[in-house]
Amino acid sequence: MTTGMRQPTLQTIGLGNVLDLFKNGRPPADVGELVDRVFGPAAGRGAMVISGANGIVGAGKTMQLGSRLEPYGVRIVALDFPNAPDGIGGQYPGLVQAFGPDGAARIMANIVRLTYDGKHLPPELANLKPRFLLEAIPEILEVKRAHYRVFREAFSEIEIRSVTSGFPSAELGVGIAHPAFPHEINKVWEIVEPKPSAFTQLLWALGLIPVPVSDHWSFVLDVLFCGFTLAGLRYHHARNMPYWKVDKFARKLAGPNPFRAHDAIGAKGANFLTWSCLHHLAEQYGEVFRPTPELEAHKDSGQDWYPPNHFRPLVNWSLDDDDEEEFRTWLLGPVYQMTSLMLHEKRAHLAHLNAIGELCAQFRRGVLALMREAGPDGVVETVTAYHRLHPAAAKSAWHPKAIGGMDTPDWQQLYVNAEHDGTVGLVTISRESYNRDVDAELNRALDWLTAARIDRVIVTGDFHLSTQMVGADTAEFYPALEREEDGERIAGGWSRTARRLHDDFAVSVGFIAGKRALGGMLELLAHCHFLVAVEGASLGFPEVTLPVVPGMEACHWPFRRVGEADRHKLVHLLLSGRPVRAPEAVGWLIDYAGPLDEALGTAWKIAGGGKHGVTQRKLVAGKVQVPADVSGLPPAGAPETDAGRKAIMECIQRSCGVPLDEALALQAKLSAEFMVSDACRSGVVGADYQRTVNV
Amino acid sequence: MFGKARIPYGTWGSSYFPAWQTSALAEVNIGQFAGEAMNRILGLRQVPTNTLDYLVIGSTIPWHWKFWNAPLVASCMGHRVPGFHMEQACATGLQAVLLAGAEVDTGAHDVVGVLTFDRTSDSPVGVFPERRAHERTLPISDVWDNFGFDPATGNAMITTAGLAARKYKIDRQEVDEVALYRHEQYFEAKGSGFLDRVLVPLEVLNLQGRPLGRIDDDLGVRKLTLEGLRAMRELDTCVTGGTQTHASDGMASLLVTTRGRAKELSPRPEIDIRFVAKSVVRTQPSLMPEAPALAVKKLLGDTGLTMADMIVVKNHNPFAVNDAVFTRVMDFDWKKMNTTGSSLVWGHPQGPTLTRIVIEALEEAVDLGGGYVLVFGCAAGDVGIAAILKVSEGA
Repeated sequence: MTTGMRQPTLQTIGLGNVLDLFKNGRPPADVGELVDRVFGPAAGRGAMVISGANGIVGAGKTMQLGSRLEPYGVRIVALDFPNAPDGIGGQYPGLVQAFGPDGAARIMANIVRLTYDGKHLPPELANLKPRFLLEAIPEILEVKRAHYRVFREAFSEIEIRSVTSGFPSAELGVGIAHPAFPHEINKVWEIVEPKPSAFTQLLWALGLIPVPVSDHWSFVLDVLFCGFTLAGLRYHHARNMPYWKVDKFARKLAGPNPFRAHDAIGAKGANFLTWSCLHHLAEQYGEVFRPTPELEAHKDSGQDWYPPNHFRPLVNWSLDDDDEEEFRTWLLGPVYQMTSLMLHEKRAHLAHLNAIGELCAQFRRGVLALMREAGPDGVVETVTAYHRLHPAAAKSAWHPKAIGGMDTPDWQQLYVNAEHDGTVGLVTISRESYNRDVDAELNRALDWLTAARIDRVIVTGDFHLSTQMVGADTAEFYPALEREEDGERIAGGWSRTARRLHDDFAVSVGFIAGKRALGGMLELLAHCHFLVAVEGASLGFPEVTLPVVPGMEACHWPFRRVGEADRHKLVHLLLSGRPVRAPEAVGWLIDYAGPLDEALGTAWKIAGGGKHGVTQRKLVAGKVQVPADVSGLPPAGAPETDAGRKAIMECIQRSCGVPLDEALALQAKLSAEFMVSDACRSGVVGADYQRTVNV
Repeated sequence: MFGKARIPYGTWGSSYFPAWQTSALAEVNIGQFAGEAMNRILGLRQVPTNTLDYLVIGSTIPWHWKFWNAPLVASCMGHRVPGFHMEQACATGLQAVLLAGAEVDTGAHDVVGVLTFDRTSDSPVGVFPERRAHERTLPISDVWDNFGFDPATGNAMITTAGLAARKYKIDRQEVDEVALYRHEQYFEAKGSGFLDRVLVPLEVLNLQGRPLGRIDDDLGVRKLTLEGLRAMRELDTCVTGGTQTHASDGMASLLVTTRGRAKELSPRPEIDIRFVAKSVVRTQPSLMPEAPALAVKKLLGDTGLTMADMIVVKNHNPFAVNDAVFTRVMDFDWKKMNTTGSSLVWGHPQGPTLTRIVIEALEEAVDLGGGYVLVFGCAAGDVGIAAILKVSEGA
């Protein structure tokens, strides 16, 4: 029997535990089977209709689903009014970039573009056997209901989902699949349905991220994003700060720049959607959601929030410490309050509720992670301070009791979960980049497993929210750019966590399931006794391109696990920043690469102690020799990269030149030293820091 | 006058006035700058810009997109309200305030913003097709050609100062002393922190959003000595480079509203600032510096008040001669006026000059416990303008 720290998110879409993937040696859902269930068998396969297909959502989803369903023979019917501006043709260059000219042509050829008058469906539609309607028409309740009636009258068996960002399923009478911007590439779909459907599981099987949410007015993403936008509007309303500057301080505070996002999406449509969402929420829940006059005006005018190019901002705005604290209250107070409402209504699995802000609304850290860091008293203090600024908001939709229980695993393990079956443990990481939250949660997960006397463990992504592992979250380095001590603290602390994967378990297996494992995430998994990857994964250390010096022991740990003859490959990997495909890395970076099913089975055999045929690369605790030079490097291209290469090479030489027990502190120190250098500050991380923090 | 209108204390602010071509203001659309700056000032004063329902702007030098008038500047403030543009040369800064008072007094508007601004740097050159003229087409550099030639008289501004000095038999020594004293008053006010309550440092951004310059000083103001002033070449009678003002760039803003709204908006609601009276006169050709004194004389006659009733006296004095003439006409010691400096010292961006003077005068009156405030100045066309405001506390 499998025990978990908290419910795995896969269970929320009816796909069981993650541990079962490894036990069964295959994913819990198959695309082919699910396509048959949703669209009918190949012989009589039906089509997916996307109505409002020329709109921003419709066109994006026509591309995203069209590209994924084309190989399975599912025709995409793009339906819209005859006078709707072409939103699909503009997608073609992106398709070519992603799939090449042939792939793009194939995908476009599979899309049938039809027009209708809104009342009468085109007769050709019947020939395409519509099985599924994804409705992406304007947010007008009666229009949507009428639209469903037209389809149901013509195709009584058709399954319908609305992409609405505001109306509950109970109002619409259909299920909801609410996608996130940018619609071509964002994989997250908020799903409202009584129980996980084949369509939802198909989204997962196609590599997308369906996230079940409850059937309330507006969904998690819109409450968070529209709520954050409204918070910025309220600050503007009270203090005059122009929207562009509110954006800059908002980005510094939490990550999103909501006004730029509205303009980027298309202010006319986005302003209306935000207003619509908040208007309905205000009607349901009260003043904390009430749109400001500025939003009303922008909804009516469709005007951008940023000034036009010929009026680029002239007068700067700054905030002193007290002002910035007030800004924080204006911005986070309502967001915390709105989140308390969503918690009260149990709108989603907490990991989902937290992740949606990061994956879809630009939050650097999830809102629940922010609230957890503040603690319940801190959250109440912020909301109370906000109510002093905006007393009307205090009258409703504030649920302080809902933020209790922060010490429970549901709150404590937002990004990292652990399961075990009494013998083998599994740690899943649902965040693509490593940060302080992941580090703390990973430590708690490892504590939980060791407390249960589990000494064999697999460490991997969560097969749901995390579809790749991109490395360390570079926003975590901001303090380290100013203070070397902070760099040492971060690198040293994270390295000690990584070593637990090696030291605390008899057998540990790092499993790379997604497209890539890079940087800090690869450093983390490289500490496992075995490293298994799916054959399509890319592996690399892109730190030099930023440039930073790897601080989680990439400069010596992998070198200690490989023969001298192969160490130049690691040097090349670190100094070039270019990734390698998993099969090319077997024997000197990883231990096995293969198709998903086989890789799952191999990892399970290794972890379970079965016969697996994979030889463990031993760790050398003493000094190891590393070549002082490596040939075939691409040109550095920039002075910062050159400086980064030199610093990384120095770190390799020096940390490999000391025993293992001294290397951790040394490489952390060298990484931290480089972080405060001019080369690092003038690189990608430094520029990002300047842009984000020095506003 | 304008019995319903009030100026809410502490909701005002002015930029510093850097001399022409010395600051980032030489690089900007001054209308946009003024709109954004007023929004910033209101933010610092904790007044939401959305409380404004009308905007009176005043400027004298054409600026890019001027046709679009006050609504455009309001858009740059981030609040789309109607309004209009007015100008009366160097009287603009006071007339705009008075016109706003009228807007409120009639009940047409509730909270009226007054925003005056000008950029003398790189002033535009107008090209005027005039077929009867032998040149056929006349280009005019807006600032310098206007200062240099009054079409009604054929004289330059500076000539009016020389003519006035000669009429009132003013000698060079007195004018130098006036100029030196005004500079000492300015630096004393600056050193005391008084100007920090009036002037707001503003950072100007370039097109990429990076700092272009910080407007945080009245650049161009020099510390003078009597010896230095005496050594200066006389450009006309009693007029030297040290006894006349210099062109500068800047903006100034305040609000005019009803008494009730003033109490809501002001950080000190107990302070009541009312309009009392105004006068505008025109004197003999090319005697502009005596016109303000004549306006004040008329104003006092109209109101029955005397100079002794005034707690604060401030004027726009592009020439030190103006103050010496005022003393002759009104028998009022020039040392008792302009106690925080004047436009003779900190420069003359034209549109906002008298607005800044009004703000400084009201701040000073509050410091002194209230009373009548006299503000006056000269304007192109031999015009003088004067107004009296009354500051009361505990109202």
